Amino acid sequence: MSLPPVMLHLEVTRPPRRSVRLWLPLFLLWPLALMLGVLALPVAAVVDLVRLLCGRRDHHYAMLLVRLSALCCETRGLVIQIDKRNETVNLTVH
Amino acid sequence: MSEDRNRILALLAAGKITTEEAERLLDALETGPAAQPSGGGITGDPAPLIAALPKYLYVQVDGSTGDNVNVKIPVALVRSGLKLTSLIPDQAMDQINRSMSEHGMSVDLANLKPEDIDELIESLREMEINVDGKNGDVVRIFCA
Repeated sequence: MSLPPVMLHLEVTRPPRRSVRLWLPLFLLWPLALMLGVLALPVAAVVDLVRLLCGRRDHHYAMLLVRLSALCCETRGLVIQIDKRNETVNLTVH
Repeated sequence: MSEDRNRILALLAAGKITTEEAERLLDALETGPAAQPSGGGITGDPAPLIAALPKYLYVQVDGSTGDNVNVKIPVALVRSGLKLTSLIPDQAMDQINRSMSEHGMSVDLANLKPEDIDELIESLREMEINVDGKNGDVVRIFCA
């Protein structure tokens, strides 16, 4: 698993309007995400355990949280560019 | 000339790998059989092979009206997404499989194992989809 995304660059150009360039510092969300994860993981583990004891083995919420966080981390390098005549939208995850 | 060597040269000719990557792969091929004469697999430093694996999946749409969409998806993201399939509940998986089979894709996602995912990702290197629409739209999907 790699590091979570650090920055999100969003650029919207719609002439004759002024273009918008945003650098969103995603690293500021890391502590919040970590805190939420630390809180949610034990809850999910307990729910999984209770469901397992009840004979329901079809949901794995703890594993889902782990895999989703891994998915978020792997978004680094994602680039989406949309050009429509004069309008352009560029989104890059760094 | 071995089949592997031919394959590497074909990838180089197609522009899917750089000359440096091709050189590293050829070096790995040369050192591989020496360490394992039976030819059961490539031995030695796997770094060149790992470095030559596709890193991004590209989806390019060139519309006839000048609308263009370019998407560059990290292959690691695809891999992580595929791994999520193992967590889909059985009921939902049945519905997905049924729906896919109705649309002509009889693939059982429940049988997708981690080693299959790795093999799938590795084989993406050779995949290239080019669609030319009647109205001039061009869709290109490839890995690099």
